[in-house]
Amino acid sequence: MNAYELIFWLLTVMAISCALGVILSRNPVSSVLFLIATFFAVSGHYILMNAQFLAIVNIIVYAGAIMVLFLFVIMLMNLNADTEPQKNRLVQLAGVVSGGILFLVILAALKSSTNNMLEQTSTDIGLIKNLGKTLFTKFVLPFEIASVLFLSAMIGAVVLGKKGEEGPQTPKGA
Amino acid sequence: MKAIIAATLLGVIMMFTGLFVKDKKQVVSVAIIAFLALLGITVWEVAEASATAPAMLFNNMLRIDSYALWFNMMMAGCTFLYVLLMGKDVMRVGNHVAEYFALILFILCGIFLLTGYNNLLMLFLGIEIMSIPQYILAGADRRNLKSNEASLKYFLMGAFTTGLLLMGITLLYGATGSFYITDFTFLRTESLNPLALAGILFILVSFAFKVSAVPVHMWTPDVYDGSPTAFTAFMSTIVKAGAFVGFLRLFHIAFGSLSEHWMMIVALITAATLLVGNVTAVFQQSVKRMLAYSSIAQAGFMLFAIAAVNASAWQGMIIYGVAYSLATIGMFSVLIKLKDYTYDGFNGLAKKQPALAFFTTIFLLSLAGIPLTGGFMAKYFVLNAAVQQGDMLWLVIFALLMAAISVYYYFRVIIAMYFKQGEAEMAVEVNSSDKILLGITCALVILLGAAPHLFLGSI
Repeated sequence: MNAYELIFWLLTVMAISCALGVILSRNPVSSVLFLIATFFAVSGHYILMNAQFLAIVNIIVYAGAIMVLFLFVIMLMNLNADTEPQKNRLVQLAGVVSGGILFLVILAALKSSTNNMLEQTSTDIGLIKNLGKTLFTKFVLPFEIASVLFLSAMIGAVVLGKKGEEGPQTPKGA
Repeated sequence: MKAIIAATLLGVIMMFTGLFVKDKKQVVSVAIIAFLALLGITVWEVAEASATAPAMLFNNMLRIDSYALWFNMMMAGCTFLYVLLMGKDVMRVGNHVAEYFALILFILCGIFLLTGYNNLLMLFLGIEIMSIPQYILAGADRRNLKSNEASLKYFLMGAFTTGLLLMGITLLYGATGSFYITDFTFLRTESLNPLALAGILFILVSFAFKVSAVPVHMWTPDVYDGSPTAFTAFMSTIVKAGAFVGFLRLFHIAFGSLSEHWMMIVALITAATLLVGNVTAVFQQSVKRMLAYSSIAQAGFMLFAIAAVNASAWQGMIIYGVAYSLATIGMFSVLIKLKDYTYDGFNGLAKKQPALAFFTTIFLLSLAGIPLTGGFMAKYFVLNAAVQQGDMLWLVIFALLMAAISVYYYFRVIIAMYFKQGEAEMAVEVNSSDKILLGITCALVILLGAAPHLFLGSI
């Protein structure tokens, strides 16, 4: 086992155990912290695959911005064990059974698969220079069209979040 | 491609209109011009397109064939009619009128992508551009708690199924190393990669959600009931037809050769959708909620076009999409004028507004699939496609049985209007232009029933 494999397995174990921590921990704040750790482990995988840009963006955007936002929201909402909704036993059982069935089906489907995942041939595809080139040549249309998506999300923020002028009840200019 | 650019640009222009034009009525007029312009551009594109070779654009990211152009034109036409009929109602929803129309234009941009994608990346972007404005429109009535609930529910569930879609795309990429849907046709049944099969299953589930098929239909009644009625009319018709064409393209062009693997699943989903949609609709007290369940039931019929992999299915999809959209938009534009959305709210409408009651009757007959209306031809086309496919006679018979059930709840409205005593209270004044527009919609529904080939063009 060389150093590469050692790091790979280390990161894998870390990612999976932290992901389990996210769903198993009772406290929402520690869930978020586990999720941040998961993102770091996944970013480590990206670096192993020579995709530095993706790794950095993953840390800055997800671990940095989004998760801190989550943390703030959870702290402001002041969640604790008392506010947790009581779930019906029957519903829980149904969830476990249906989830288990799905797991079995996918397991049965993938069991016969003999490692025929395609191998990535080029190893420097994740470098910023190559990424930029592909983004502006081969994938230019999806890259540009995505702006429509972000524009509509921005309009949504204004439409749903703008204060005041709530219609007839609110007196204007008062 | 012109239509995609036009929808985006007109959306941006519409957005800025909100900045400069303060009078809501003028905003609606600008919107009508914008949608007319969009319709004009789609017509222009149909006229100049060559019938033989589809246009491959941007490294084969888009494959715009004559079917896509024709469907785009139909959808732009339906949306134009929708804006004419419901523009005033959109105005009453809230203060951001220009933004609502901009979002509707962006949704159309998403639909145009869904009719012309050739790459799973474009499929994903199309689905998202179509969905995100809908989450916003669902919550546009901010003072109404039900509208907020609808928006949040739709957003959470939609985001979850988008995750499933991405998972499916990833698995397909893992199996084939390609995002191009035409590349998947080399997947052969003998040497099928299990990863690809799992991917197809994931994509099937997420599409079933987007078109509100059972068992992932649970969001539909709450979202359609809670959203402002003006937007429900758009979300349950044109958007649904657009999502169906995306569904059709992927499963016929890319996975058509593998149909033996997914045909049974789609057939079972179809049967479940028809059963749950129709039977639950019978027990509803509110007409708006009944229409939500009816949209599930109608989705069941449209699923026939997915299950039957042949050319008739493609024709049936256009006819069904247009017939269903026209009748449902008409129905909603009558409903929105009433104060009471329950069946009792329709009592005595025939005495008070005979024209309105007559048009409503035609729309309901079309939805039920009575001959000489568009709904009948639509059902005929999709069921015919299923019969041609063979092996699905049990499903066709079952669907006819379910169509008979649907007659019950559609006719309850007609009975309330014509045979029950009461004073149907109107929320808004019905003027003569409303009646003329409803008359035009009605005429189109009947024309579709009498001469469906006019709506198929050269397809």
